[in-house]
Amino acid sequence: MASGGSDSMKIALIPKEIREKTKSCFECGICTASCPMAELLQPHYNPRILLQKTLTEPEKTLNEDTLWLCAWCYKCYERCPQGLKPPEIFQLLKNEAVKRGFLEGFERAVSKIADVPLSVISLYTCFHPERANISVEKVAEALQKAAIIEEQIPGKAEANQRKKIAIVGSGPAGLTAACELAKAGYPVTVFEALPQPGGMLGKSMPAYRLPRKALESEIQLLEDLGVNMRVNQKVGKDVSFEQLWRNGYKAVFVATGAHKSRRVGIEGEDTKGVVDALEFLWKINMKEKITLGRKVGIIGGGNVAVDAARTALEYGAREATILYRRSREEMPANPWEVNEAEEDGVKLEFLVAPSKIMVKDGKTTGLECIRMELGELDETGRRTPIPVEGSEFSVELDTVIVAIGEEPETSFLPREIELDRGRVAVNPITMETSMKGVFAGGDVVTGSATVIEAVLAGIRAASSINQYLTKLKLEGGAY
Amino acid sequence: MTEKEAEEAPRIGVYVCHCGLNIAGTVNCEAVARFAATLPNVAISKDDRYTCSDQGQELIKNDIKEHNLNRVVVASCSPRLHESTFRKACEDAGLNKYLFEMANIREQCSWVHIHDKEAATEKAKDLVRAAVAKVALLEPAIETEVPITRNALVIGGGVAGIQSALDLADTGYKVYLVEKEPSIGGRMAQIDKTFPTMDCSICILAPKMSDVGHHPNIVLLANSEVQEVKGYIGNFKAKVLKKPRYVTDECSACNDCTEVCPVTVPNEFDIGLATRRAIYTPFAQAVPSTYIIDRGICLNKEGIMACDKCIQACERKAIDFDMEPEPLELEVGTIIVATGAEVYDPSSLTNYGYTRYQNVITSLEFERLINAGGPSGGNLIRPSDRKIPESVAFIQCVGSRSERGNPYCSNVCCMNTIKDSLLIKEHWPDVEIHVFYVDIRAFGKGFEDLYTRAKEEGVIFTRGLPAEIVEDRKTHNLWLIGENTLQKELYKINVGMTILSIGIQPCHDSDTIQRLCTLSRTLDGFFMEAHPKLRPVDAPTGGIFLAGCAESPKDIKDSVTQASAAAARAGILMAQGKVSVEAITPKTIPENCQLCGLCARVCPYNAIAVDKERKLVEVAEAACAGCGTCGAECQFEALHMRHFTDAQIMSQIDALVEEAPDEKIIAFCCNWCAYAGADFAGVSRMQYPPNVRIIRTMCSGRVSPKFVEHALSRGVGAVLVAGCHPGDCHYINANIQTRKRVEKLWKKMDRLGVDKNRLQLLWASAAEGEKVASKAKEMQATLKKLTPEEVEKGKQAFAGS
Amino acid sequence: MVPRKLWRRPLDSEQIKLPKAEIHIIPDLCKGCDFCIEFCPRKALEESDKLNKRGVYPPKVADESKCTLCGFCTAICPDFAIFTTEKKEETSRNGR
Repeated sequence: MASGGSDSMKIALIPKEIREKTKSCFECGICTASCPMAELLQPHYNPRILLQKTLTEPEKTLNEDTLWLCAWCYKCYERCPQGLKPPEIFQLLKNEAVKRGFLEGFERAVSKIADVPLSVISLYTCFHPERANISVEKVAEALQKAAIIEEQIPGKAEANQRKKIAIVGSGPAGLTAACELAKAGYPVTVFEALPQPGGMLGKSMPAYRLPRKALESEIQLLEDLGVNMRVNQKVGKDVSFEQLWRNGYKAVFVATGAHKSRRVGIEGEDTKGVVDALEFLWKINMKEKITLGRKVGIIGGGNVAVDAARTALEYGAREATILYRRSREEMPANPWEVNEAEEDGVKLEFLVAPSKIMVKDGKTTGLECIRMELGELDETGRRTPIPVEGSEFSVELDTVIVAIGEEPETSFLPREIELDRGRVAVNPITMETSMKGVFAGGDVVTGSATVIEAVLAGIRAASSINQYLTKLKLEGGAY
Repeated sequence: MTEKEAEEAPRIGVYVCHCGLNIAGTVNCEAVARFAATLPNVAISKDDRYTCSDQGQELIKNDIKEHNLNRVVVASCSPRLHESTFRKACEDAGLNKYLFEMANIREQCSWVHIHDKEAATEKAKDLVRAAVAKVALLEPAIETEVPITRNALVIGGGVAGIQSALDLADTGYKVYLVEKEPSIGGRMAQIDKTFPTMDCSICILAPKMSDVGHHPNIVLLANSEVQEVKGYIGNFKAKVLKKPRYVTDECSACNDCTEVCPVTVPNEFDIGLATRRAIYTPFAQAVPSTYIIDRGICLNKEGIMACDKCIQACERKAIDFDMEPEPLELEVGTIIVATGAEVYDPSSLTNYGYTRYQNVITSLEFERLINAGGPSGGNLIRPSDRKIPESVAFIQCVGSRSERGNPYCSNVCCMNTIKDSLLIKEHWPDVEIHVFYVDIRAFGKGFEDLYTRAKEEGVIFTRGLPAEIVEDRKTHNLWLIGENTLQKELYKINVGMTILSIGIQPCHDSDTIQRLCTLSRTLDGFFMEAHPKLRPVDAPTGGIFLAGCAESPKDIKDSVTQASAAAARAGILMAQGKVSVEAITPKTIPENCQLCGLCARVCPYNAIAVDKERKLVEVAEAACAGCGTCGAECQFEALHMRHFTDAQIMSQIDALVEEAPDEKIIAFCCNWCAYAGADFAGVSRMQYPPNVRIIRTMCSGRVSPKFVEHALSRGVGAVLVAGCHPGDCHYINANIQTRKRVEKLWKKMDRLGVDKNRLQLLWASAAEGEKVASKAKEMQATLKKLTPEEVEKGKQAFAGS
Repeated sequence: MVPRKLWRRPLDSEQIKLPKAEIHIIPDLCKGCDFCIEFCPRKALEESDKLNKRGVYPPKVADESKCTLCGFCTAICPDFAIFTTEKKEETSRNGR
């Protein structure tokens, strides 16, 4: 039996229910194998081992740097056979570490994060030290300095690489690949359709999650590395895909993200007052004026829906309600952020599906909805919502924001590039597409996902492109 | 013992047992015996070192004769231990065994208050006083005997059902074997080889199937469903619907009809890996071998005969589209439930891509693929290109031991995978085999040897489950990405085919069987046995037995063992030809009865019938298990719960609160869980405050609100009602009524301004002594805060109850 | 959970050779009772959009591959306007 002292310590660190539940972990390794950080920092970071340590030696974990390396993507939770939430268990220990002034682990973690590409962006969007009451701005400053110093180390990138690389899209996947390839000495050109680089980071990520300054400084760093950033250049319109080959590019990385919003497909969707979430967030980021009215409803349950709801409250709406057709458990949004949104005052309505936009004098006045109940598991492993007959009701709304998911826009790609259910099909290991010399990664392959997953895709692609251009042979690849 | 004798004034003998020092070390037994002598109706009171010994029993027997005793109380251990011993002694001395009562002063007194001798002695006195009060009111009873019909019904024709049916039939009983599918055989018929001996599954099963088909004592009802089960132990009436096959027994299984049938669909038996026609036989060895027409896909719909190809082809004129469903009514004495299990559907685990990737198959599909009689002729081909893969992977625990699937271990998958890997090695030694696992459970006879052999043969076992399977779109090979948790390294392994070792889960329609046979299910969804150790094949309902995977996931050997055990248990009942029913069933008091039917509604066994025409409420004694929830429900005192009458329980309450009621806690504990839990606390010497006074009822459902109200009106400090966990009730679900009643009482207390904390509800299993003890401590704490005004308020509020 | 639907293409789906049918319609014999369309168990027929001599819309083949040669249309047609024959694949190819 454990001595009284250490036992009570365990109780103090992690609430009993969570501890009991964590004991059901039988160390299958699925969390670690799902974790983008585990792959990025291999073999240094292993959430499974960390989780076990929280049970056996919770105090020791307080000084671990690994405690701070979780990027909050919840991939582990999505797949954990026991439904454990490692990010939240780690958070409890982080809180305790800060409370007791154990910050060495964190400081060591920061130097590890500095090795992650786009470290400042990753810090803001993935690592969230502020959740443990640590100033994220200060850490960002330190990271930025470290990055500048690293960049000044000469000789790392020899200009012996003449082969030009085109990167289509400047979101986190594209920027990461650009960074890695530029460091390896390749001349890299990034094509961006929008007037500013950053992809979703700049387009739809609210400034409270990623300050513009942080994004701009990262871009500046890349340009200093010699990356040629070409904005307002939409491949397929301003430059054709074939032109890239003609212009001498030897490899192309497609990282155009997922920007095509899905439509709800209900009556009145084109009425004034019904807006697409990405567009809404984009306009806010571009500082355009938007009138929302008092009551805003957001249809959807993903991260974009949550961002849109919080942003709506910030920009003058009195009430923002997320309407989601399944239950809280099925919500694809990051659970922590859903909680934060709730704390901000965002209301959540579950098991509700919209059936019609109510219109008066050409303006949106509300939404007709129907209650749902959950049925059998569907192909996505979630329970299918089924309308409950006779449960129709309506809510008064001034603005309806639609955020039911985004899909990649792929019409600009040559036919040789195969698609899989609307997304670019790649060799999962090498990120090659079915067209020689073309690689793809990020949301355009996976559908909407987290920044850290895009970063990992960028790294994988960069390494494959390097291999491809040097040896023209890929490990695990078809060529 | 005659009624006249019972009507005489009670002459009670009290025996206080020392149990060596087990009781006497804490309780002053002499003082308790002296105290008992002062109680009303007590003719004689003695203390004794070991009352359960032969001498102790002789003492009681002699006293009964010598002192003309007509009631006996023994204050010693738990009635769960020695009640039957002392009852027997009473009977030997000519006293009706229902005129005996025990006071539990060991498990529920001396062992749990070791350090407070004085309080323990006082408690022992109280307990004896309550036993004396109850025994004075006990009535003699004669147990009724019910005849048993010597026929058995076996539901489910898998290997368990087959074995049970054959055993019973060989013993000489008539057996009805009902199977919902067109053929018996179940899952075992689909499997290629069995572990650990690698016998061919169908080769050992087919002779048994054929025996069933030919046995003179077995009536095989395939393609049939049980629709209703009524009655009780020994006297069940089952309605079975025999659905039409549209092919008569004239069928010689020549297959001519199938060859001409123009409609094809995927074959269920091969999990869709092969096709069948609308007229078909599920598999070559099917019993009955008579073909069947699937009218769901046949071109001939109700009333329209569009196609007569099979009729034309059949030389024996065995096809009859006019066949009707045949309702049958069977009278049976015993029922064996062997309804089997289903496999887990892995398509909801999207990271494994089942149904998205052709080359991800389940272990059951694998069995059909590797089977020489299967759709690939025994060639291990992968579905995408029908080629033998160079490497395969098995993934264990798919849908088992998981919150996303089923929480339990499915028991057979580890060994099944090892067997499968050896089968591959036997035919194609060059195929590279990976097994991804978290624990290999090779616990049975010969299992470890097989595991070792697999490792020797070069099967690669890797600890750590893949997080994800991704398909290479060109080759349709699969990448398995996971962590080797022993090496603490990530792996990415490329294989040609992946086999998901899927778990076993209860049949989707097991709730129907549960309802029909009034069974209970565990939280896992499998049927619950009467006792996990000592009555593992008995269902809680008398006369019904369980066999095979319906009870829990198990392999063929265990299924057959259990099936034979169930047959033996059923056979014992039928051989005896009659069964006696404990005389704790209710008697109706017609003059009080208002025919409201509430008793019938709460009876978990449907043992009470209200006959409005004859103005009668009838209790089917053999069906009744004696929980007493009807008695607690009756508002008109029209049910006399024998051996646990209202008057008897009230007298116990009165006796227990005669002194210092406000310092006491009256706890009503059900015999099977809470009382047993309190006994367990005693056995484990868990100490708790000595002011708890336990009253035993068979079920917490017996606890009538008026008992609680009566206790409060007498100024008792607090009342505890304790029963089995919901879903674990020994009387199917009678404790649901307990909860309802307690909730109602809480509302009433609220309304009357009585602190509702004074009534507590506890679910505790027989193993949860700790829970009983901590509840007692918790209630003791609230008792300390109890004010005299509050006690008075309770007294006033429920005065007259 | 209800048992999973069978989703695979059976491995023997190519080996199973069902006779292929050819549906013959004599439009001008048809009086438009539509029995053949209504009662075809595989719904292989549909109404055509051309009037015949008798001023009705005769049936036309919707999907010949659905026909199982059950011959019910022939049996049910009051006007002997429809019949089916087994398609001999080789002969039809040689005939061209």
